[in-house]
Amino acid sequence: MSLYEKPTDKVFEIESVRKSYGSKQVLKNISLSIPTGVVGLLGPNGSGKSTLIKTILGLVSIDPRRGDTGSGQVLGFDWPSQVRIVRDHVGYLPEDDCYLQGLQGIESIQMMARLSGLMKKEALRRSHEVADYCDLGQERYRNVETYSTGMRQKLKFAQALVHDPKWIILDEPTTGLDPQQREQFLDRIYALANEQGKSILLSTHILHDVIQTCDHVVIMAAGQIRLVDSLENLQRPSQEGLQISVVSNAGKLSDALRAQGIQSNSTSDSQLVVLGDESNLLKCVWKTSIEHQVTVLRIEQAKNSLEQAFLDAVRS
Amino acid sequence: MPLLDIGYRKWEGEKTPRSTRSLALASTGIHLVWKGTWLKRILMFMAIPALIAGIFVATFEQTLDRDGPRALLSILAKSPQSRNIAQRAGVDLNAAIESPESYRHFTWSYILFNLSRYPQALGMIVVLGLVAPRLISYDLRSRGYLLYLSRPLTPAEYIFGKSLVLFFLLFVMSALPALLIYVAGLFLSTDSTAIAQTWDIPLRILLASLVLMVPTTAVALAFSAMTQESRYAGFAWFSMWVVGSVTYFSLWTATQLREQFQNQGRGARIEAMAPWNSFKLFSPYETLGYLQQQIFGLAVKDPWTWAPWIAVAFVSVAGYGFAYWKVSRVLKA
Repeated sequence: MSLYEKPTDKVFEIESVRKSYGSKQVLKNISLSIPTGVVGLLGPNGSGKSTLIKTILGLVSIDPRRGDTGSGQVLGFDWPSQVRIVRDHVGYLPEDDCYLQGLQGIESIQMMARLSGLMKKEALRRSHEVADYCDLGQERYRNVETYSTGMRQKLKFAQALVHDPKWIILDEPTTGLDPQQREQFLDRIYALANEQGKSILLSTHILHDVIQTCDHVVIMAAGQIRLVDSLENLQRPSQEGLQISVVSNAGKLSDALRAQGIQSNSTSDSQLVVLGDESNLLKCVWKTSIEHQVTVLRIEQAKNSLEQAFLDAVRS
Repeated sequence: MPLLDIGYRKWEGEKTPRSTRSLALASTGIHLVWKGTWLKRILMFMAIPALIAGIFVATFEQTLDRDGPRALLSILAKSPQSRNIAQRAGVDLNAAIESPESYRHFTWSYILFNLSRYPQALGMIVVLGLVAPRLISYDLRSRGYLLYLSRPLTPAEYIFGKSLVLFFLLFVMSALPALLIYVAGLFLSTDSTAIAQTWDIPLRILLASLVLMVPTTAVALAFSAMTQESRYAGFAWFSMWVVGSVTYFSLWTATQLREQFQNQGRGARIEAMAPWNSFKLFSPYETLGYLQQQIFGLAVKDPWTWAPWIAVAFVSVAGYGFAYWKVSRVLKA
């Protein structure tokens, strides 16, 4: 087995990571272990998400003279001593607006492929392959400095994928994308994880992106890890109940249910949550909705909102 | 929904060794620089002096059995600069006029040195001043270093890759034409002893080019790493040569005039090319020129001095050190 094929069930496992910028400690004794799959790294702005990513990639160095510490394993390789090898297996989409000035989009992707070890012609062939996948179209032949923010995001995504990495790190990838592009982007992330078996770390503060794509969630705040759990656990309600989507008049239906002694709460004009035993509730909800002429669109098991879990974690 | 979507495709293939990745950086850099039509024009323009030098060598070889070299050496003997260099190189131009073939090495070296010292060195200043400032400053401005360094590339390899871009240009500008002239000279020579007489000249050409390439590249990259604005780096680059040369020329002229007034009176002639003096350290152009003179064996009568070598080595180390520090500093931010 070559050095490039170290098997591991965990993407990384790091301990006691401290990192300071000058006198400000940005990462405060972080110990974190994340499994393969899609992991959402959540946190408010300035919580240390990007610094954590850059530290893992060695883009921000651990300098013991400044009091920085940290050790562990990333993709089965010792970290930080083997960070160069790690980089060979990682595709990184930086948050920063960065590009290689003077190059066309396709040349820029080819350049990244060659830096990751692809031969020149193969790098060009592969670059076109990922440019097609990332929907770069004929724009690939334009100089990158003329790209819009959305195009640059697509380009950075193509650069991150060009060497077919095991682990893809996406730092705020949907920034600057219009709603349609954003949905397509999230679909691609989902497909890469579920069809290609890629591990993905998605750093964002957009909770919807995490709900749509992630298996696990890490919440950071003030340079600390506040919560690590699966999305399923986080969304599991403390009480059994139903989440109901209606066309309108959710409040009217909620009032009617409450009048029958059922715990109910409308969260908007089209959403309400009822608590209690599912089998008994279902019959009652149907009956009441027909009586009050409220059209029900969807009924599902009640979930905790990730937003609440996020706020709780950040405030804790 | 699309009717057909191939989707993502895996890639499996042989990867190049990590140690060679900076070559990719260099080849893309060269490709990028080569896009500029002005660079091609300058390089074509710079071929003219090389062609002239080639014609000199060819004429020397083709007319050895006639009176051509004698005429050429007679012209050289009239120039105080040539006389001066020949004298310090231990060459008696009058003897050379009598037996030109025994002075083949000197003649070729002299022609190639002048090619390297004047048109190529000046061309190098122009080309590097236009190309080098963008190499690192653009990456600092567009944060391209984040993309580079997220790959298995160290800051040292990044600097090396960028240096190779300039090395390539300087090799094409200085060493390549000189080597071609040398080969052409051998082919045109009717004398079978030409190789034996001149075998060391290619080595001298390569060494002289190296002396030109390493320190200038180091300084150019240091200027480029100093700022996100390439125009400031370009300005610093050209200023260094101009200010250095003006300072040297002023100091040297003042000293020469004082000596002439003191020793020989007003009518004395100032030597066109003085041997090593410490004022040359003020001028990168003069210092590099002197080192090339030594390498081509045209300064043998001067007392050996380490000062220019030490100065150039120091500037090279400091230039590369600064560029490395600036690039690696972004990782420590």
